[in-house]
Amino acid sequence: MSFLYPLGLLGLIGVPLLILIYILRSKYNEQTIPSTYLWTLSEKFFKRRNPLSGLTGIISLILQILTVIFASLLIARPIFVVPASASEYCFILDSSGSMNTQSGSKTCFERAKDYIEDEIDDARLGSSYTLITLSSDTAVVYERITDKDIAIDLLEELECYDSSADNSDAIAKAQEYFNENTSTLVYFVTDKDYNISENVEIVNVSSQNVKNYAISEVMGNLTEGTLYASGNVISYTSDETLDIALYVNGGDKPADTLSISVKAGESMPVELSCKAASYDSFRLVITNKDDLAIDNEITCHNLNSEASYSILIVSETPFFLEALLDALTDSMVDVITPREYASQGGYGLYIFHSFTPETLPDAAVWLINSSESVDDSGFGVRGINELDAPGELVRSQSTSSQARKLLDGVIGRDIYISEYVKYSGMYTQFTTLFSYDSNPLIFAGVNALGNREVVFGFDLHKSDMPLSSDFAPLISNLLEYSCPDIIDRSGFTCGEEAEINITANIDSVKAISPDGEETYLDTSTDISRLALDRVGTYTFEVSAAGDKRTYRIYSAAAVSESNPASTGEDFSLIGEQTYEKTDGEFDPLVILFVLLAIVFTADWMVYCYEKYQLR
Amino acid sequence: MKKVVIDESFLGQLEQLGTLLKNNVAGMFGGNRRSKNLGSSCEFADYRDYMPGDDVTKIDWNAYARFDKLYEKLYFDERQMHTRIYIDASRSMAHGSDDKAIASIKLAAAFAYLSVCEMDKVSIYAIRGAALEEIAVGMVGKDSYLNCINRLNELEFDSDSRISEAIVPSVVGRGDGYSIIISDFLTDENFEAAIDRLAEQKRDILCVQILAREEINPQFRGKMHLFDSEDQSKFFRKKIDQDVVRAYKDALKYVTDRIRLYCESRGGQYLFAPAYLTLPEIFFDKFVDMGVVK
Repeated sequence: MSFLYPLGLLGLIGVPLLILIYILRSKYNEQTIPSTYLWTLSEKFFKRRNPLSGLTGIISLILQILTVIFASLLIARPIFVVPASASEYCFILDSSGSMNTQSGSKTCFERAKDYIEDEIDDARLGSSYTLITLSSDTAVVYERITDKDIAIDLLEELECYDSSADNSDAIAKAQEYFNENTSTLVYFVTDKDYNISENVEIVNVSSQNVKNYAISEVMGNLTEGTLYASGNVISYTSDETLDIALYVNGGDKPADTLSISVKAGESMPVELSCKAASYDSFRLVITNKDDLAIDNEITCHNLNSEASYSILIVSETPFFLEALLDALTDSMVDVITPREYASQGGYGLYIFHSFTPETLPDAAVWLINSSESVDDSGFGVRGINELDAPGELVRSQSTSSQARKLLDGVIGRDIYISEYVKYSGMYTQFTTLFSYDSNPLIFAGVNALGNREVVFGFDLHKSDMPLSSDFAPLISNLLEYSCPDIIDRSGFTCGEEAEINITANIDSVKAISPDGEETYLDTSTDISRLALDRVGTYTFEVSAAGDKRTYRIYSAAAVSESNPASTGEDFSLIGEQTYEKTDGEFDPLVILFVLLAIVFTADWMVYCYEKYQLR
Repeated sequence: MKKVVIDESFLGQLEQLGTLLKNNVAGMFGGNRRSKNLGSSCEFADYRDYMPGDDVTKIDWNAYARFDKLYEKLYFDERQMHTRIYIDASRSMAHGSDDKAIASIKLAAAFAYLSVCEMDKVSIYAIRGAALEEIAVGMVGKDSYLNCINRLNELEFDSDSRISEAIVPSVVGRGDGYSIIISDFLTDENFEAAIDRLAEQKRDILCVQILAREEINPQFRGKMHLFDSEDQSKFFRKKIDQDVVRAYKDALKYVTDRIRLYCESRGGQYLFAPAYLTLPEIFFDKFVDMGVVK
C-alpha cells in the first residue's frame, strides 16, 4: 500500500488529541440545585432500559476517532497494489471527415470518444493509455499516461477534422507501441469495417441506414455573360431525387435549381447556369438533408480580381519591355524616365533599365544593365566588359527547381551580347539563369531587403535577346517569379496544404478558417503553407505596403470520406499478441468516502440524541 | 430576599383577581362561613338529648309535646374564621430560575387578600428551621391587610425548614378555617405530623407545592455533581442520561402523589403549582378544578 499524499496522515494526530479532550472533558460538572432530595430518591426508581446508553460517551469518542482516521486516509489517498490486473491500452481514434456523420443523436466521432472514455473508466487503475488521432495527419495526443482524469480530459477536448484519413502513419505508430509491449490492447475506433485486422480490435461506431449525398468536381465557366456551373452528384446508399441549387456571389436566393434522379452509388453530372457578367464566387448545393453535411456543397471563388499588381518601368528606352509586358499581363504598367524617378511607391515591381537608383525600393525589382553598385542589392559592380565579337549567352544547366521553373520554355540558344557588366560579391542565394564566360549575366534571388530581385548584366538593346523566341517565356517566368500570384488556385480538397506565395512587400498573411480560427502565416519564407483540415471557405487577408487584399479558397470534402458503405482493406499489426498484465492499483477513495459519511452521520446522530431527543 | 413583591401593581392585580372571583365564582373557600363547631347562632344544626345542666332555653318544647322526651336544639357556631398561612422560608425556595420564593409570597398574599375580603382573620407565618416566624398576625379587614402585607417583602429565604417541628407545637386554632402550607416539599423531613396536627384540630388543610421549571423537567445531561442548596454535605453525583432523568421524573411523581394522598386522607387538599404559572392561572384553573374556589 502506498499513499498519494502521505502528508494527509498528519491528520491522525487528531486521534490522541481527541482522547486527551475526552479525558479532560470527563470531569463532573459541579452545580448547586435547590434540593438533591428528588435526585437521591430517583436512585430507587432507576432502571437501565438501554444498556448501550451508558456507553454513549465512548461511542461518540469511537465515532469521532474513526471520523478522524477516515478523513486522514481520504486526504492521504492510500493506493493498494493489485498484482497482474492492469493493461496497456492504445486507442486509435479516427478523426477524419466521415466521422462527422450523424449516428443517432450523436456523431460517429462523439460516439467514438464515448467508447474510449468508457474503456478508460472501466480499466483497472494503474493501466496506461495512449491515444492516436487519425486524419490527414496522425498525431499522438498522449502516450502511456496513467492518470484517467487527464486521459479523459484530453480526449474530450479533441475535435473531428473534415479531411481524409491516412492509416499508414497510425499503423506505424501503433506498431511501435505494440513492438515494445505485445500485450498492448490496440483499439481502432472508426466508422468503417476492415476486411483484415490482426492484433487490433476494430470498433465500428457507425450506425446502419446512413444516408449521404455528395457533390464533387465543381467548375465554373463564364461565357458570353452566362455562368455555367457544373459538377458531379451522387447518392451513396439509396436511389434519390436530388435537388441542386446554384448561388452566386453569396446570395441567399438560388440563381438556378435542378432536380435530378440518381441511382445509388452512381455519379451523375449536373450543370446549372445563370446570367452573370462576372462573379466573385458561386456555390453548388445539394439541398436534400442527409447524415453527413460537409460534402453537400462546394464553393468556387474567383481569384482574378485580387491578383493584379502594377509595374513601374524606369528607362529611357522602354520599348521592348513595355510592349512585352502589355502583352503578357493585365497589370497596370507605368513608364517614366530616370530623371522622373523620385522613389515613387505603390508598385509591385520596379524595372530599372540602364539606370541604377540610389536606394532599392521595398518591392520586387529588376535591375537591367545596372552599371553601379547599390546598397542591399546583394552584389557589386566590377566594371563593363566590351566584347570584340558578339558573345553567346550560356543557359544554366542547373537542376534546381527554381532554375527549372524560371527557365521553363526557354531554349537559350543563339543569344548574343556585345558588352556586359561584370559583377562580384554575389550572394549564394541567387540563381543563375544565363552566364557568359562564367560570369552570371541573368540571375534571380532575394536581396538584402527580402525582396525578389532579377538582374540582367547587359543592355537589352546591345543584345539580340529581345528578338529571340526565348524573350517572351523568360520575361513571363520572371514576372511570375517577381510578382507571383498569392494563391495559385481556389479549389482544394480538405487535407491538402494551401501554398501562399510570399511576395515582396507582404507584411502579414492572416488565414481565417471556416470555423473562424485565425492564424498568421510565416512571411519570412518564399512560400508559406497552411494545412486545410476543415471543409469550407478559407480567407487570407494579405497586407502588403499598406495595401490589404483578401483571397478566398474553398476546401472541399474528400471524396473518399463520403461513402458510408466503404470498407477498409487492412489494419493489422505485425507480431503475436500476448496477454500479460502488469500490477494494477486499487484506490479505495469511494469506500473511504462512504465510510467517512456513515461515521460522521452516526456521530451527529449520537450527538443530537444526547442533546435534544431526551428533552 | 429583598425583592419588592408586594407593591401597588401587585395589589391592583389582587383587587382585579378578587373582583373576577366574585363575579365568576361563589367565593373563596365555598362562601359559607360556618365553623365546624356548634354554637349560638340562629341557624339550626341538629337535636341531642337534654342533659342536666344544659341551657333550658334551648329545649324544644314542641318536640317534648310530641315525643314526651326533652331534646336540646343545637345551633351552628358563628365565630370568625382564622386563615393561617405557613410559608416555607428555606434556601431551596429561593434557588432556581423560576423564583419559587416570589411565587410563594404572591400566593400567600392572594390567599390572605381573599380571606380578608370574607372578613376572616388572617395570619401569615414563615417556617424558619423548627420555629414559626410571625410575619403578619391577626389581619382583619382590608385596612389591616394593607398595613401588614408589605412585611412579606422583608421575608428572607435563608434557612432550612422543618415543617412539622415548627407547626406541631404552635397554636393552630381549632376548627376555625384554613391552614395553608406553601412549600416545595423537597425534603425528607417529616411533614406528615404537621398535617396530622392540623387535621386533629379540625382545620381545613391546603398544601401548595411550588416547583421550578427545572425541577419539573431537569435539563442536566452528562456527568453532574449536584450540591444541595440547603446542605452542602448532601450531593448527587452521577452521569445523567435518559434513564436517570426518567427515574427522576418517577421520583417526582412519587413525591407529589404521596403528599396529595396524605392530604386527602386527612381531609385536606393538595395543589401542585409550578412557579412559572401566574396567579390567575393558578386560581382559575387549578383551584376551580380542585373546588377550592367555586
